[in-house]
Amino acid sequence: METIWQDVRFGVRMLIKHRIATIVCVVALGLGIGANTAIFSLAEAFLLHPVPFENSDRIVALVDSHVASQDGGAGFGPQDLNAVAPATYLDWKKEAHSFDDLAAYAWDEVNLTGDREAQKVQDFKVTANFFPMIGVQPLLGRTFLPEEEEPGRNQEIILSYGLWEQRYASDPNVLKRVMKVDGRSFNIVGVMKKGFDFPMPAEAWIPLALDVKERLRRDNRWLWVLGRLRPGVTLAEGAAEMQAISERQAEIYPDTNKAWRLQPQPLRQFITGTLTRQYTVLLMVAVGFVLLIACADVANVQFARVTGRTSEFAVRTALGGSRWRVVRQLLIESIMLSLVGAALGLFLAQWDIQMILAHMPPDVARFVAGWKTIRLDSNAFLFALVIAVFSGVISGIAPSLVGSRASIAETLKEGGRGSSVSRTRHRLRGALVVAEVALALVLLVGAGLLVKGFQGLLNVNGSYAPQTLLTLNYSLPEVQYAQAAARLNFSEQIMRRLGSVSGVQAASMVTHVPYADGGGINDREFSIEGHPLTQRGAARTAIVETVAPNYFNTLNIALRDGRLLSDSDGAESPQAAVISESLARRYFSGENPLGRHIKTGKAEAEGKWMTVVGVVNDVRYSWIVKDDIPTIYRSFRQAPPFYTTVVLRTAGDPLKFVSAARAEIAAMDANLPLYNIKPMDKVITESIVGIAYVATMMAVLGAIALTLASVGVFGVMSYSVSERTHEIGIRMSMGAQTGNVLSLVLRSGMLLTVLGLAIGLPVAFLLARALSSLLYGVQAADPAAFIGLPLLLFAVAGIACYLPARRAAHLDPLQALRHD
Amino acid sequence: MTDATATLIKMEGVKKVFLTDEVETHALSEIHLEIKKGQYISIAGPSGCGKSTLLSILGLLDSPTGGSYTLNGQSVANLSISERTRIRNREIGFIFQAFNLIGDLTVYENVELPLTYRGTSAAERKQKVQHALERVGMAHRLRHYPSQLSGGQQQRVAVARALVGDPLILMADEPTGNLDSKNGEAVMELLRDLHRNGATVCMVTHDQRYANFAERTIHLFDGRIVEETQEAHVGA
Repeated sequence: METIWQDVRFGVRMLIKHRIATIVCVVALGLGIGANTAIFSLAEAFLLHPVPFENSDRIVALVDSHVASQDGGAGFGPQDLNAVAPATYLDWKKEAHSFDDLAAYAWDEVNLTGDREAQKVQDFKVTANFFPMIGVQPLLGRTFLPEEEEPGRNQEIILSYGLWEQRYASDPNVLKRVMKVDGRSFNIVGVMKKGFDFPMPAEAWIPLALDVKERLRRDNRWLWVLGRLRPGVTLAEGAAEMQAISERQAEIYPDTNKAWRLQPQPLRQFITGTLTRQYTVLLMVAVGFVLLIACADVANVQFARVTGRTSEFAVRTALGGSRWRVVRQLLIESIMLSLVGAALGLFLAQWDIQMILAHMPPDVARFVAGWKTIRLDSNAFLFALVIAVFSGVISGIAPSLVGSRASIAETLKEGGRGSSVSRTRHRLRGALVVAEVALALVLLVGAGLLVKGFQGLLNVNGSYAPQTLLTLNYSLPEVQYAQAAARLNFSEQIMRRLGSVSGVQAASMVTHVPYADGGGINDREFSIEGHPLTQRGAARTAIVETVAPNYFNTLNIALRDGRLLSDSDGAESPQAAVISESLARRYFSGENPLGRHIKTGKAEAEGKWMTVVGVVNDVRYSWIVKDDIPTIYRSFRQAPPFYTTVVLRTAGDPLKFVSAARAEIAAMDANLPLYNIKPMDKVITESIVGIAYVATMMAVLGAIALTLASVGVFGVMSYSVSERTHEIGIRMSMGAQTGNVLSLVLRSGMLLTVLGLAIGLPVAFLLARALSSLLYGVQAADPAAFIGLPLLLFAVAGIACYLPARRAAHLDPLQALRHD
Repeated sequence: MTDATATLIKMEGVKKVFLTDEVETHALSEIHLEIKKGQYISIAGPSGCGKSTLLSILGLLDSPTGGSYTLNGQSVANLSISERTRIRNREIGFIFQAFNLIGDLTVYENVELPLTYRGTSAAERKQKVQHALERVGMAHRLRHYPSQLSGGQQQRVAVARALVGDPLILMADEPTGNLDSKNGEAVMELLRDLHRNGATVCMVTHDQRYANFAERTIHLFDGRIVEETQEAHVGA
């Protein structure tokens, strides 16, 4: 132990002595360790703590995904996870033995009125056993009782801590209160603990009450089911049992179940989502690359220092120090360097995390699982310590092994000025530069593709000028607006009033604007008359939008064929529908869709057939789904909605029209809460904020990688020039011109760079292919990324080589010849 | 009491061949050498004759290509690296032409180094280092760094470092090569004093004046021992 302490003391002395080298290494390692620690904190939050309660390990989400069919129906995107029908859930409850309990929940939005200002909140209908199953107790009051699942007795509500705090100023007597929920009276029976918002982003919970009719439905998939595995039962066993049950159901109820496949998955995985996991892993790999580049830089500096200390190691060995002792001495110095780097890295990580948290819009943050748990915790400190030691070892091991291998007799004979230049050392340093360049290129290309893809996402929506569109949502209470005529009247008046506001060029409405709900796709089943499904249980799906006729003009959606919806498509007229080109292509391949009849839901279901009167351009709905999504538009006059999004085309900044819009709607219904009031461009940017974060972080990491790689090239070439000073002197004395020396140094540096690029390009191409499958707008063979970025790296490496080359070319031959 | 007639080093037929780019260089050939305990021997010869190579092999810094080498009764020609390191640490003290002090260690720490590698306790190290530095007259410079000392002083510290572990033999490679004549004389006097006190010394030099300090001089030429002379005045 004492000798280790001696090594540490000597190491400190060495680090202080070589201040510049120490600072370069500490900064490089600080950047690498800082980036890794910050991303570790994100990964920890997203992958390990996505749910706001303990012991979620045994909770399994039982979700369905589409089975692709020859009728063209299939899920959209990588997150094709769907709820199940009530009858399916009730069957599972009876038949499943691997789970000691199954609970269900459903998302909802309600208007709170009565005792306070009208307010729209996200609530979840949950079964009475939901809270006991996940093991969560309320802060105040109680959870739901089994009898409260009965229709008519489900008049209780539990508030989230945030809603209790905001609406009732944390009133401890809140449990005695009654509040109006969508116009009906509800008793407040509980308040949940701070931070609990599961299922995200719950602000309130009410009992899930299924009436007799609903309990028998197998075609209406709106329940999300969770199960808690019995002790001793593994996920695989539970999943196998559930899949067997699901397959039996598909045989018994093929029309509703055949086209679906059960996908049991751990709750954490379900909540985090495939994309978050993929992007988190992508960032972890990227920061890993940055750390490796930093380690290569440090290793190169260590090589230079080791070369300068060859005689010291020879003396130590001559005096009885074993090779291991010399290696240990160097590794201790290297690890100390990394630990100082880790200290800097922790500051940088803290700053990174603050930046990440500060720039996330609150409206988006509340939908991101684990977001609230992002912080630099003790695990992050431990992680920083571990990677610091790891970095110290991998950046120090090669220099220390090579440095300790020098011939003692040779070195000592030369009087302590260092042994002859080792070929191994040269080769290793060259290899490190090649690796740095290759890694930096992979990172740069990845960053370039993501940034370009992100820009592509923004540009693709340019056609409808989102910056002059204001969007806002309202949801008409069922009690007050039960009659279609009342809803129609309300919608028409709203359109008229808002359209007359000075500066509003057009007022329109649509169920969901593109990119609403973070870009999630709400597709529904539909049928085509005379075109039965060839496969039982299969389904055709499309987004179904209820719009005002002027919606197409408001969003500049061009007509391709037929006509648009018009004011004459009223309640008494034949039902009309406009479809998107992608729907026509997918479901009417080779046929003229105009005049054909379609219907939402199954062909035999209630509801009128709609006649296809027009085909319009596709609108991009989601950054997740690369393909155009089939869309059906119908007139609000023929299906007056409860829930809608008002869209205003404004002259100038849309936010200037918010108060006027509020006033006009309040004049119609003072108790109707408005929410999601934001310009369309904000809706888009918020939906792609995740990819914006990833693209920004990748761009920063790419820039760091480029800088570190160029520092590495510069360092190696500078050292090479000082090592070859004597040789350069000889060459000059023999007539070498400035240009000859310049090209001598440049050639060797650029050769390493080209080798690095040659190795990095194929790896970058593989990465690009993976990214292109993830993100709209990313092309695996993007010429800008695969030509421009290698050229950029080549140019920066060229400058890094040129500086030492110029120094070499301007050496005084006489002094160079005298150089040891 | 040491047995003054006991053989400390015995070499028989030692040779050293360097292979460089397929070229064989015979640095040493057929070296037969015996050094008894307490002897003061110098190895002399012109530049490139193999003096330092022989000293490196004697000091276990290098291994012979052929022949046998016995140190204190133990065959050491084919030992493992770690075993050679252990013997160097315990039984051989080195003095180099270029001093080879570690610039970033103080005088005290430089002298302490062999004892540190040996695992000697801190208290014993302190006592031995102090004693060794007193023997060479450098005890007043404990906290100095080598760069703060003159060449002669540095070589005295190097001698102290060689002595501190009580080695069986001191190996000195051109110990005066980097010193002026005054300091060179002083270092040679120091070695002579050590020899008078019982130390076995083996020194490489190309300077006949200093070779005469030894009681035996081995003359090398082209890697072979060509002559051996005895000095009558040693110890005078």
